[in-house]
Amino acid sequence: MDRQAEFVGWANYLRLFSDPDFWLALKNTSFFVLGTIPFTTIMALWVAILVDQKIPGRGFFRAGFFIPSVTSMVVIALVFTNLYAKDGYLTLLASILGIPVPQQGFLFSTATALPSIMLMDVWVSFGYYMLLYLAGLQAIPQELYESAEISGANFWQKFRYISLPYLRPMTLLIILINTIRSFQIFVEIFVMTKGGPLNSTLTVVYQVYEVGFNRFQMGYASAIAYVLFVIIMIFALLQMRLFKVGQGVAE
Amino acid sequence: MKVSRVGIFLLLLVILAGTLFPLLWMLYSSLLPKSVSLASLSDLFKPEITFKNYQEVFSQAPFGRFFLNSIIVAVSVTLGNLLFCSLVGYAFARKIFPFKRSLFISVLLVLMIPAHILLIPLFILINKLNWYDTYWALIVPWLVNPLGIFLMRQYIQVLPADLEEAARIDGAGEFRILFQVVLPMCKPALAVVAIQVFLQNWNMFLFPFIFTSSESMRTVPVALALYQGYQSIDWPHLFAASGLSTLPILALFIFFQRQIVSGLTAGALKQ
Repeated sequence: MDRQAEFVGWANYLRLFSDPDFWLALKNTSFFVLGTIPFTTIMALWVAILVDQKIPGRGFFRAGFFIPSVTSMVVIALVFTNLYAKDGYLTLLASILGIPVPQQGFLFSTATALPSIMLMDVWVSFGYYMLLYLAGLQAIPQELYESAEISGANFWQKFRYISLPYLRPMTLLIILINTIRSFQIFVEIFVMTKGGPLNSTLTVVYQVYEVGFNRFQMGYASAIAYVLFVIIMIFALLQMRLFKVGQGVAE
Repeated sequence: MKVSRVGIFLLLLVILAGTLFPLLWMLYSSLLPKSVSLASLSDLFKPEITFKNYQEVFSQAPFGRFFLNSIIVAVSVTLGNLLFCSLVGYAFARKIFPFKRSLFISVLLVLMIPAHILLIPLFILINKLNWYDTYWALIVPWLVNPLGIFLMRQYIQVLPADLEEAARIDGAGEFRILFQVVLPMCKPALAVVAIQVFLQNWNMFLFPFIFTSSESMRTVPVALALYQGYQSIDWPHLFAASGLSTLPILALFIFFQRQIVSGLTAGALKQ
């Protein structure tokens, strides 16, 4: 820290483009983002619709699904490390279901480590988005459903022509928040794999940590962080654009 | 019709069981004696529940200290947010001052900045202030947050201003008006801010991990993540420690469910 800082211009950014680790981290992170968000969103919507039906214990279900979202990510990552171990219960379940299990367990194979963490992420995060969807569903005027029922609409038609259009802004919001969050995935990686095996779970924020605090190259780590920021903002703007198209009735 | 409702209820029960299984597994296995092999199904249901793991956690590692650190940090940060978010929110809701609009927009823009991007600049700043490995590093960066400001501003803005005017005519100063007239009417908003900040801080990992190095400065999540790496993993103790760190949160959740839910959704809904 004592060294006199030296102005290097764009050198750190140029270095980034030829750094295979950065491209790998970016690829892994994008795979994580694109591979979890559709499942998380659909799961959240599906469970929200189920909880929104006239069933007993709605408050109980609402709270229960939300509990993982208030639990520490470190704790959750530890529990899943245990469940994914070669004698863990998720591994046992997988082998009962006929899913091929890597010899050392799911987190020790380059093919399964990242997908295993992604599965955990869907599990831990869908409850929060379910709550948001539930709030969105409850804001839909009940008369719409009633008049649809009188005209003989079935469940699917009501969902397709009333709920879904009304939930559009909420869906955008959910995908947006989840994108910003998922691009920054770190704790799970730190606790479960430390970026391994063979960098197969190296993500951008993990690389920032690794470069900045294990190799003490603060300038280069900052450049990586800054590029991540720009990427997240581009994604966010694109999503806002995409959802505005054909929306018709603006908020 | 009735049948389908029963079906939905049962389906939800199954999904909920899947959702809670990992956490229940953690709590259950933390109560088993060390001799029980977690991997063998037949061993698992012998009724030998014990709290020994919980006692041993405190003697093996300075977990008391980790908990104390977590409590000191989370409570200070929560109190700081209650004070500063109220002050800033009140000013934005009621006062007229130059650049108010642009300042408020910049608060909202800070909401959009991914937190991890701040890691390195904050780290450098903390080193320059000589705060590395102190409580200052764990507390000061989080004493105010844009979402809290936003929530307080929204809440105060729709309160009737008559009471404030009356107090002003009676000669009350600005701070007196804020603390004795406005804030007592803001309890629901304050509760939301407090719980949200407390939860977030209690579970925080990366920043406290980077900003401290000595064992005596570690918070619970940091200690848990590092404890794992010390020796070959000692699951019963690790799970007991995890359980201890989760229980306060679960208790908080059960008591303040409504505030937690409205706090975490309000941030998203009002944007």
